[in-house]
Amino acid sequence: MNIDMELDARGLNCPLPILRAKKSIAQLATGQVLKVTATDPGSVKDIEAFCKQTGNELMQTNDENGEFVFLLKKQ
Amino acid sequence: MAKRLKANERRASILAVAKVLFADKGYNGVAVDEIARRLGVSPAVLYQHFPSKEVLYEEVLNHISTQRESYIEAALNGPDDFGSVLERMALVFAGKLSSDSDYLRMEMRAALEDAPMAQHFFENRWKSFSDFIEFYINELCQSGQLSHINPQIASLMFQGALREVLYTKVILKTERYTHFTLSDLIKFMTQQFLKSIDYQKT
Repeated sequence: MNIDMELDARGLNCPLPILRAKKSIAQLATGQVLKVTATDPGSVKDIEAFCKQTGNELMQTNDENGEFVFLLKKQ
Repeated sequence: MAKRLKANERRASILAVAKVLFADKGYNGVAVDEIARRLGVSPAVLYQHFPSKEVLYEEVLNHISTQRESYIEAALNGPDDFGSVLERMALVFAGKLSSDSDYLRMEMRAALEDAPMAQHFFENRWKSFSDFIEFYINELCQSGQLSHINPQIASLMFQGALREVLYTKVILKTERYTHFTLSDLIKFMTQQFLKSIDYQKT
């Protein structure tokens, strides 16, 4: 799968990962994919809510040894 | 004689009573016997649910973290400039804590006690503000919109002022500020902070 942009939000508490994801995804074209890596456990719920509110697709959520990796497709 | 409760109800009642006592007297000031007495049960009943006071305190903190505020609405609904988001975050935080003065008092007590785990927990609750303020002030400085501002000091200033507002309205209920609502104080304080760093909405 093509990843068009990566956002490193490790070590940051909400709402910063969300605000940065919003800014990053605004730079993508429809259908492009943003990979977000975060460590705040609250980011799982927050990224879900972000995608729900903004209409972007949350393609994948993985917990990789305490790091949460999200793939978001811009709609 | 205490009413016979189901295990989960008993556990919840222990956590609720322990939280009030930890808020009143701090971790070091509360004995397991006192919590049991307040609940009307024997210490043995309490130990069936929590093997030690330390575990009980940790569970009170875990329970608090499950009810943590969400900044999603603050982040996404409304203008997304630094000042506007900061004000909405402060309002969300204050709204949550105004209905839980025991939480704030636990935090005050923990600051005076030698309890690194508790201090780390309470510090982490404020981390949303330090992360947010430091990140955006850095960005605004890099883009030339702010100058000569130390992000860490600015973050400390804001958190100090917000704490003071919360103590004033939620714990001390200081007479001098009774004519302000909590929301108004938060908004005025945030505006004052933004002026002090020479922030201009773009």
